[in-house]
Amino acid sequence: MSAITYADVNRDILKTMVRPKPAYYLLISGSLFALLIGGVSLAIQTDVGLGLSGISHPIGWGFYITNFVFWIGIGHAGTLISAVLFLTRAPWRNPIYRAAEAMTVFAVMTAGLFPLIHVGRTWFAYWMIPYPNQRMLWTNFKSPLEWDVFAVSTYLTISVLFFIIGLIPDLAAMRDSATGTRKKIYTLLSLGWTNSYQQWLHYMRGYLLLAAFSTPLVFSVHSIVSFDFAMSFLPGWHTTIFPPYFVAGAIFSGMAMVLTIVIPLRKIFGLEKFITLHVLQSSARLILFTSFIVGYAYMTELFMAYYSGNHFERSLFYFRLFGEFSDGAPFRDAHLFSWPSLAFWTMIFCNMISPLPLWRWKIRNNIYALFIISIFINIGMWFERYNIIVSSLQRDFDPYVWGSYWPTIIEAGITLGSFGFFFTLFLLFIRAMPSMAIAELKESIPAPMKHKKAHS
Amino acid sequence: MKNGIRRRDFFKTIAAGGAATVAVAGCADRPEKLIPLLVPPDNIEYIPGMPVDYATTCQECPASCGVVIRTREGRALKAEGNPDHPISQGTLCLRGQASVQSLYNPARLTSAMRREGEKWVAADWDAVEAEVAKKIKGQSNKKAIVLMTSNRNGTRQKMVNQWLSALGAAPKVVLESLANHNIREANKIAFGKSELPVYNIESATYLVNFGADFLETFQSPVRNNREFANYHAVNEKKAAKNKFVNIAPHVSLTGANADQWVKIAPGTEAVVALALAGEVMRRSGRGDGNLKGFLSGYTLEKAAEASGAKVEALAQVAKEISKASSALVMAGGTLVASETGTAAQVAVNILNHVAGAVGKTIRFGTGQQLDISTPTSEVLALVDRMKKGQVKVLIVDGVNPLYHLPKSADVEAALAKVETIITLSTQWDETSRKAHYALPGLHTFEKWGDANPQSGVESMIQPVMAPLFPVKSSEDTLMSLGARMGLAGFGQGQTFKNYLMNAWKGKAGGGSFDAFWRAALQKGGVFAKVSGGGAALSGGATKMNFQPSKLNGTGLVLLPTPSLRQRDGGQTFNPWTQEIPDPVSHVVWDSWADINPKTAEKMGIHHAQQIRVKSPFGEVVTTAYLHYGIHEDAISIPLGQGHFGSGSKAADGHGVNVLDLLPAATDKTSGEFAYLTTRVEVSVTGEPSFLVQTDGNPRQDDRGIIQMMSLEQFAKGEPPELPHELESPHYASDFYRNVPRPAGYHEPYRWGMVVDVDRCTGCSACVAACYAENNLPVVGKERMFLGREMAWIRVERFIEGEGEDYTTLMQPTMCQQCGNAGCEPVCPVYATYHNPDGLNAQVYNRCVGTRYCSNNCIYKQRRYNWFEYEFESPLHLQLNPDVSKRSRGVMEKCTFCVHRIARARFDANDEGRDMRDGEVTPACAQTCPTQAITFGNLADPGSKVSRMSMRDGEGTPTGKRVRQYEMLESMKNLPAVTYLRKVTIKNNEKEA
Repeated sequence: MSAITYADVNRDILKTMVRPKPAYYLLISGSLFALLIGGVSLAIQTDVGLGLSGISHPIGWGFYITNFVFWIGIGHAGTLISAVLFLTRAPWRNPIYRAAEAMTVFAVMTAGLFPLIHVGRTWFAYWMIPYPNQRMLWTNFKSPLEWDVFAVSTYLTISVLFFIIGLIPDLAAMRDSATGTRKKIYTLLSLGWTNSYQQWLHYMRGYLLLAAFSTPLVFSVHSIVSFDFAMSFLPGWHTTIFPPYFVAGAIFSGMAMVLTIVIPLRKIFGLEKFITLHVLQSSARLILFTSFIVGYAYMTELFMAYYSGNHFERSLFYFRLFGEFSDGAPFRDAHLFSWPSLAFWTMIFCNMISPLPLWRWKIRNNIYALFIISIFINIGMWFERYNIIVSSLQRDFDPYVWGSYWPTIIEAGITLGSFGFFFTLFLLFIRAMPSMAIAELKESIPAPMKHKKAHS
Repeated sequence: MKNGIRRRDFFKTIAAGGAATVAVAGCADRPEKLIPLLVPPDNIEYIPGMPVDYATTCQECPASCGVVIRTREGRALKAEGNPDHPISQGTLCLRGQASVQSLYNPARLTSAMRREGEKWVAADWDAVEAEVAKKIKGQSNKKAIVLMTSNRNGTRQKMVNQWLSALGAAPKVVLESLANHNIREANKIAFGKSELPVYNIESATYLVNFGADFLETFQSPVRNNREFANYHAVNEKKAAKNKFVNIAPHVSLTGANADQWVKIAPGTEAVVALALAGEVMRRSGRGDGNLKGFLSGYTLEKAAEASGAKVEALAQVAKEISKASSALVMAGGTLVASETGTAAQVAVNILNHVAGAVGKTIRFGTGQQLDISTPTSEVLALVDRMKKGQVKVLIVDGVNPLYHLPKSADVEAALAKVETIITLSTQWDETSRKAHYALPGLHTFEKWGDANPQSGVESMIQPVMAPLFPVKSSEDTLMSLGARMGLAGFGQGQTFKNYLMNAWKGKAGGGSFDAFWRAALQKGGVFAKVSGGGAALSGGATKMNFQPSKLNGTGLVLLPTPSLRQRDGGQTFNPWTQEIPDPVSHVVWDSWADINPKTAEKMGIHHAQQIRVKSPFGEVVTTAYLHYGIHEDAISIPLGQGHFGSGSKAADGHGVNVLDLLPAATDKTSGEFAYLTTRVEVSVTGEPSFLVQTDGNPRQDDRGIIQMMSLEQFAKGEPPELPHELESPHYASDFYRNVPRPAGYHEPYRWGMVVDVDRCTGCSACVAACYAENNLPVVGKERMFLGREMAWIRVERFIEGEGEDYTTLMQPTMCQQCGNAGCEPVCPVYATYHNPDGLNAQVYNRCVGTRYCSNNCIYKQRRYNWFEYEFESPLHLQLNPDVSKRSRGVMEKCTFCVHRIARARFDANDEGRDMRDGEVTPACAQTCPTQAITFGNLADPGSKVSRMSMRDGEGTPTGKRVRQYEMLESMKNLPAVTYLRKVTIKNNEKEA
């Protein structure tokens, strides 16, 4: 980064906040449209009832919880990048950590919507919050869903705090250059930052503390989310491998989402100088690594289902892989096409096979390849959650109540809306806040010297 | 409220009349103010919030089971069997449970009406009645006046006869789709007794059945179910079990309960029965020389050849009949109702004769009134007369000939020729739409009457509530018409109640009639024991033509079968009969066609494919259902669907009417409608089908959901070996036994249930009872397709075995009220929790609807309110005020009828004692005709459930568990429901 100067940083990064390219408007109008569809779908569902979704008996959870886990997982990469990689001093994180952190906050916000969307009486969802009330009612702390309430709200709080703290010096920089209403807002948000030595000292301490505080959350939140499943009786859910498996999967999907976001960002705003190929290929390595953990988890699940000899587990996993296990003939038609097994093989292809080319240096440094692979992984990780949630519910203990699941247009609309929600927030963020950490970027470039050959 | 009845008016009417003494109060002037019933009228004993029970009689079928109707605030809520009644003995079938829905049928006729062109116009009752009286009286040819009525016995028929003879009209025509003329005629031929016998299944030791669906609709299903269960259930002391052999071309619910199915070609019952008779005679030496000579012409080999059954199988049955101390052979239903159906019945009579059943298990002289119908041949002759314009006035009283007679009889054209049609029906149906005047009748539960299904059973019908609508009972309408016309014996102001009381005066004996009458009302009737006797075989029996009748058309033999749920289609208006799955096929809201998979394979038909079924008389489009329980050369479509003009959302537009395929043919001897007459061509339409089945998978995949054991295993006391992962039952583990319980927990009650799978016949009455008791909404076909039915109890059905050598396992499953439940810990808001009685209670108002409890329920017994469910007016009046109606977004489930437990607890607390064993009975256990469900307190070692379940840890272990099992017990959820294994009899074909 020797060619970059402080002025470059200021100009290029703050440039994202003035008039952007038309591509930006295209993206944000697309996102807003998706959000509109989601909003309308949700309004209809809230008015009429959850019956408009494809969720049924016995498949009590479907797209909504899949989306919940998916978005929570997305969030993890942000925290990993901003906190864990900060603590481990991985300098390649600097150009992307702000975007990743914003991604975390928005992803957790999106995820947090789904428990509200999927409950039958959304208007009473606050009953899940323990607060002293005149009805003397309390919540059940034995329920993994209750743990979720705490895990997700804690995660959101810490992520938002961490995000805002990290923004302070940059907001101050923007305050200095902004005018009018913007200036007022930035003044308020920058909390009187004067760039003094004292402030930097406290700031760095505070940042370090929050990073240390966030780090366990990377592991705990998704572990707790996985408890929703692991703590139940259901074959396919009741698995001790879930916490590490979910955490690895979360980082895997989060890193992929970072690439999905950062690559177009880099292109649209011309940030190639900052988000270098080195940054991208470092992310790709992390993806490759977590892909192997996830793949290992898949194989372990399958092996354990076989090795345990448990009939319920075995037939469920057979069902996931190949469709019907039990011969329903002649009362049933042979299913040539099995939707659950399609979900399973999509997951295997996207999460285990598609990252394999990343072994090659060339692929890792090819932004098109990286982008395509990151999309595959996003799809694959969504299907992983779908696969776990839906196929297990489809084939549980009593064959009499086996069922099938097919999403409705309302669910698809709300799912689309969640992407709209996320990307709208993210795109607005890019316009309103520096999407890269100005201060930290400046940290990593050489200080300006009068002589050009000061440092090597 | 759409149907013009307002809640206020309804209650006012109740308050004015009082249910016990009300006659016809519906037309009274309505008071202006709403007066709450806190201070009830003096003449009824009424405590707000307390149910009042009235004994009356179910009239959904001619069996006339005694029922007790529970009423609250003057409206009927639920029908339960009358424990004092000899037919039902406190239990009731699915259709009987659904009878309250026919009371609150949204398609009921609500006022007197007159048809103007195609439009029906409500009119003043008196005006219409006067007009109708004038029309009838003005008819010069009185023989051109015809009254069609339903097959219901009792004093009303006497009144109708008197009315018609006073008028000088033709004798009444009684319609019945599932008549028993063949049996009666065959008894006349074989035994010289033109009557229906009583089949004493209970006292038999060996039962052979030629296709009679006696557990579904045949004669008296509730009694049959009870007697069959007593006959067939394993004798625990002797480790013995009576065998039931079903010889039929199709396996219905009755056949599914058989230990052995001998598959025969349709229509070959007579030759098989005679061959069996010959073999039994040879083995036992019973019967005389003449018969021996006659039967020598019917050998097992010939019968096997004609029917396609195995000789060994027939020989074994013959051997077992001859060995049995008390055999019984039954035959009946639509499967033997061919054009030579009487001959088949005569053949069965001969078999019963040589088997020594007559006088022992088959008794004559019991005055069976189950079928008083007019033979269909005469009905068809009447239809012809109508077509010729020889019938001027037709009074239709609660029957629907347009639906129940085949299209080929062209009743529609016949009705069009009749000048004046008056309907007295309670509800809209195909025929009443064609009428000119409607003087609607009352439902059974709103009127006076009686039923006399057999000698010694004088069953009372009394109004349990004020009429829902300002209409009169058909009896009162007729009497009032009679008075208007000045018929002899029909004075002004006379009501049928007076008529009935007069008729009953003769039964009172010496004492005060008033006391006698009151006692009869309280008890539900007057009952005496009539045992009946035997009959000798007459020589005429052998003179029949026993060869199968020739069938029309080509292709597969069409077997129309009565429906367990809708009988012949008269009950299709009750939504529960559509919503509750057929226990064998598990199809809802539809017709289907059973086809043997081998035949289907040849014809290229897959399961659930839409097919066109074409006979020389018509065609229907329905859905193929591949089922090994049918002969390869046959196709079976149930009766009861395909209504088109009833105005009932439950009935219209669902399925097809199989009668559309049949000719208007009758048995040559008896005149009974011939169902087995036609072959049909079956082809795939290629259109998508929409068959909804509630079973997720027909096989249980070795999961031990429903378990069975052989009689040998039972005798040895060795439970069958389970797959490895189903082992380690909780009672073998010390862990759970030693978990300390908080003080007061499960003290003094831990409610539990024992379900005897060996007794369960799958009749699904428990499901209907649960719908009635717990305000379960009906969701309809589309939502059931997604698995969104709301049933809290379901009869699961699994097929064991390969191909035709299969066993049907059926078992009611409900919430298992686990001691270590999956639902409770996962609810974030404590909407479901473990109550001190051990129930997995559900607080509907606390539920936010995460559905986690349902996901984590290993039995998947929880139901979710996906929508706000509507109860179409006036069906909402049936809602039980003891059970809250659940709103959208809330999980609901079975809680062993916790409101009943609460009520019993209050009573017990008032008396300062604990609840007694048997004091509380959930709706499912209460109605079970086979008494397969036992409910009680597991914490009491002396209770019946404790003794039957032999559980450890809850009560006291009382011995080795042989038949007992808990569903998925290896999951250690400690369910409170113990099942008792079905005991199967090994089929020793080779020994014969």
